[in-house]
Amino acid sequence: MTLTLQTTRDDHRIAALAALAIVIHMAESALPMPLPGVKPGLANVVTVLVLVHYGWGAAAWVALLRVFVGSLLIGTFLSPTFVLSLTGALASLLVLRLALLVPGRGFGPLGYSVLAALAHMVGQFCAAYVLFIPHPALWHLFPVLMSAALVFGIVGGIIALAAQKQLHQE
Amino acid sequence: MRRPGSWCLWFLLSVATLLTACERPAEKVHHEQIFAFGTLVEITIAGTDEATAQRGSTAVIRTLNELHRRWHAWEPSPLTTLNEQLARGAATDVEADMLPVILAAQQLSRASDGLFNPALGRLLSHWGFQLEQRPEEVPPPHPDAVRELLAQHPSMEDLHVENGQLRSANPAVQLDFGAYLKGYGVDLAIEALQQLGIAHAIVNAGGDLRAIGRRGERPWRVGIRDPRGPGVLASLQIEGDECVFTSGDYERYFDHEGVRYHHILDPRTGYPARGTTSVTVVHGSGAAADAAATALFIAGPERWRETARAMGIEHVMLVDAAGKVWATPGLAARLTFESAQPPEMEVVTLP
Amino acid sequence: MTRADVIAVVLAVVMLPFLYVSFWGNEGVADTIRVHSVEGIITLPLTAHRRLHVQGPLGASVLEVSEGRVRFVASPCRGQQCVHSGWLSRAGDVAACLPNGVTVAVTGRQPRYDAINF
Repeated sequence: MTLTLQTTRDDHRIAALAALAIVIHMAESALPMPLPGVKPGLANVVTVLVLVHYGWGAAAWVALLRVFVGSLLIGTFLSPTFVLSLTGALASLLVLRLALLVPGRGFGPLGYSVLAALAHMVGQFCAAYVLFIPHPALWHLFPVLMSAALVFGIVGGIIALAAQKQLHQE
Repeated sequence: MRRPGSWCLWFLLSVATLLTACERPAEKVHHEQIFAFGTLVEITIAGTDEATAQRGSTAVIRTLNELHRRWHAWEPSPLTTLNEQLARGAATDVEADMLPVILAAQQLSRASDGLFNPALGRLLSHWGFQLEQRPEEVPPPHPDAVRELLAQHPSMEDLHVENGQLRSANPAVQLDFGAYLKGYGVDLAIEALQQLGIAHAIVNAGGDLRAIGRRGERPWRVGIRDPRGPGVLASLQIEGDECVFTSGDYERYFDHEGVRYHHILDPRTGYPARGTTSVTVVHGSGAAADAAATALFIAGPERWRETARAMGIEHVMLVDAAGKVWATPGLAARLTFESAQPPEMEVVTLP
Repeated sequence: MTRADVIAVVLAVVMLPFLYVSFWGNEGVADTIRVHSVEGIITLPLTAHRRLHVQGPLGASVLEVSEGRVRFVASPCRGQQCVHSGWLSRAGDVAACLPNGVTVAVTGRQPRYDAINF
């Protein structure tokens, strides 16, 4: 017996975006960073796109799906790397939720991307410090990692803006 | 149009709040390094005003210098006078505060089954390790001299108290508390600080230390030196009141005809104990930790667990001659290894 | 791009220098060496590149500062343990020549360890 689920076009699109996020997540895990497990947060591009088009709930799904599936595929599930990804994702989702409260036109993809990338890094860093390496020397890396996060946040924002145009034209 | 600027500020503020959630404020700490006690003494005091800290370090220096003066094993001191009397077999008056220290050392020596043996002062002087600067060209003592001394079995058990006077049943007994006095000294120094109302401090006398309280918002952080390198092997957090004592073969040694002789002598052979590189003991009392570090070093990788049990020591780390680390579960759980490749470590329970 | 976007990016960019100042403002980073001797205390930046002759009761201990590290090169003492200590580079590292009364410590505003046990 087969079970058929009714899926909408949006569902497919979200699934495709989640798959894209997972691919970026995996590519990112190969990037050398000074602190093992800490990522620049380029995968947030997808989270931001989903946020802009489908709202925060869908963005949360995509972000968490990316963390879980991505780590299962890389083989880091429940490892420190996974915990860092999860705290990063949760921190950026939290900040994005707050960002949605901005009245008026509020933020666009660029602002969301920057905020998400910074929050992602802060979350990961705090988790790394508190859970794994409570070493004061770690703090010397913090400004460097935040600089990297900002650069990736801006780059991600530009990519998101371009992608948004594509999606609109579709 | 509404002003999104203030909202942005709020978001950055929330980011900043996340940041401060795991940041710790810096604590004003008084730090002093001085030569006292024949060694480098570091005094670190936190959680008090500068004037009290200043008085605290003065008290510590005074305490340690006084101890050094009274217990000096070869320059004229109350201890050398006592040693002369003991060698003569005469019952002798001992200053009121010195007797309990000697008796406590006797207890520790008994518990260590004689591995910690401060009655072997003569063996140390045969080897020249009493001298602050041992002349490099002096060879090891003649094996006959060592054998002759050990045949007389000088031991803490030869000491007896009669009517408040101390007497030795063995003229070969010469007291040298080199492996014990640092421990007793940091105990007294911490006591002196506590009397001034100082609750957060470290007294580090030439690498052996006692720490009380904490450093502001966080525990004290102590690095244990790598016995085979300039850096730190492992670190340890201390909160409350604990001593960290290490005996290592790298502390004092000399080379003669290609052989290295270090200063931790095995009372059973009269020669430097082999098989161990260093022993670190974490314990409440400095005096006991000091004696135990020496005794466990001599007991070596085969027997240290039994000796630790007998001396009531729970937290031990031993680095053997091959560089392998052995640790009791209690201490192993607290050690953070600092190098990129942590050494091979075996966690063993005490019998 | 909205006005909020611009403000967020600008504020984030402005925040970075503050991060560098507060976490790198020589706090914790080994940047200074302090030499104690009978002559008193000498403080030198770790970036200096020089040899230092420090007088003690036995004679001159020679220290070398180079590329962010410091070591005893020569010492009039017998044991030569200070020389055996090798290079020191991290805040909190200490080497001492007890017979000659000379110690050298690498410090930052926040040392790695509160005490070194040996």
